[in-house]
Amino acid sequence: MAQLIPFTYRPGNSLLHRLDVRLKFFTICLISMSLLSAHLPACGGYALVLVFFFKTAGLNVWETLNSMKYFMLLLFFVFMARVLTVPGDILFVFHDISISEQGIMEGGLVAFKFFLVMVTGLIFSTTTKPSSVKSAVQWFLKPVPFVPEKRVAVMISLSLGFMPVILKQAREISNAQKARCADLQKNPIKRILRLVFPLLKKTFLSADSLVLAMESRCYTDDRTDPEFTPSGNERCFFAGTVVLCLSLVCF
Amino acid sequence: MPEKIIDINDLCHTFSDGYIGLKAICVSIYKGEFIILAGKNGSGKTTFLRHLNGLLQSDSGQIRVKGHSVSNHLIQTRKTIGMVFQDADTQIVGDTVFDEVAFGLENLKFSRADITAKVTQALKGLSLFHLQDRTPSSLSGGEKRRLAIAGILVMDPEVIVFDEPFSNLDYPGTIQVLTTIIALNQSGHTIIIATHDIETVICEATRVIIMENGQIKEDGTPADLVKHLESYGVKEPCSSKFGLGIQPWRS
Repeated sequence: MAQLIPFTYRPGNSLLHRLDVRLKFFTICLISMSLLSAHLPACGGYALVLVFFFKTAGLNVWETLNSMKYFMLLLFFVFMARVLTVPGDILFVFHDISISEQGIMEGGLVAFKFFLVMVTGLIFSTTTKPSSVKSAVQWFLKPVPFVPEKRVAVMISLSLGFMPVILKQAREISNAQKARCADLQKNPIKRILRLVFPLLKKTFLSADSLVLAMESRCYTDDRTDPEFTPSGNERCFFAGTVVLCLSLVCF
Repeated sequence: MPEKIIDINDLCHTFSDGYIGLKAICVSIYKGEFIILAGKNGSGKTTFLRHLNGLLQSDSGQIRVKGHSVSNHLIQTRKTIGMVFQDADTQIVGDTVFDEVAFGLENLKFSRADITAKVTQALKGLSLFHLQDRTPSSLSGGEKRRLAIAGILVMDPEVIVFDEPFSNLDYPGTIQVLTTIIALNQSGHTIIIATHDIETVICEATRVIIMENGQIKEDGTPADLVKHLESYGVKEPCSSKFGLGIQPWRS
């Protein structure tokens, strides 16, 4: 099942799997910011780099793109928003709506950039253990004053771990309601309310049990710090990232 | 005479809504015992177990674990008495099997090297080592329950308390968990199991405590009490009903 869900960690031993998670975090931020000012040729070049990393990480390009089809819908809305709002040389007019050449070009470029950021994030999340993400967050938050970084890290971990439990409970409640002909109710608001209230109740009860379980295992904020294991390729990877980002900004 | 591990004196607990959870509980628990805490739903079994781990505070009376008061030595108590909850899903904290088992040790501030060594040992001991990178939500019911046991076992408890350990498990899952519990008892751990379905474990037990309305009604050997069970709403094992005495549940 996990194989069908995008943004889910897939075990492996590729270069990306072995890289220090802190560098991966830093890299993803740097590339995302550089993409903001990139032009079409640079974006095209970066797409080829991503295909290379897809192969390196052992991911199937088409299977992954297929699993992201709902995100494509979001990109389509982003594209349409640009197409309908950017002025320029009118290509055609329908009622009061005019579509310009510049709108199509800009919409396409913005959607393409979003797509690249999304795929970068997907490669990051499929090659990084959730526990490593938690550790990196804790490490980055450590110098920030008044932020309990260890507690934040545990909260992230609990949110990630609790999501399948909540989804399972939602499925069970929905099935139990369907078994009593809840499908006959056509009002979507009423259907959502019928699902949400029992789900919230179950979630709070589960959270209560979780608190007890954590307490019984001596939970405290003052815990063992996470350990980072660099692969030795970090310097080369960082140098490559800097060159890539400069290329994105300059071309 | 075996060493006395837990000594409970006149323990009383009343919930905030006025419901009496426990009434004048007096009992001693000795090293190496295998105790079944039997009683129908609402008899006070879970409330009693939660006091052992310091998760609930009593109105009056005292629990002493290895001579120390639970309320004054919470961390020591929780290291001595590990608790496996009824719903394995809601007690899982880590986002991989390894992280889940490491949770308790991280709270106790063990070094990373010690954590890795102890977790590896616990996972191998419970045949979960090959699953160490899996997400707990993807495990079977029996594997999740064993994972919960591993998370407790890694903290080296002397007493392990199970709250309905066989609920929602299929036959293979029940066998896996039962085999694990028996092995733990044979390796010197004191076992306390709260259940309303005692057929699965009665053959292994050295002592049965029957609860009703928050009180201990009977306390004795399985052979002495097996015929009294049904008068307290607990099903008598089939073998006993058919005059065959107490027989092992496993074929």
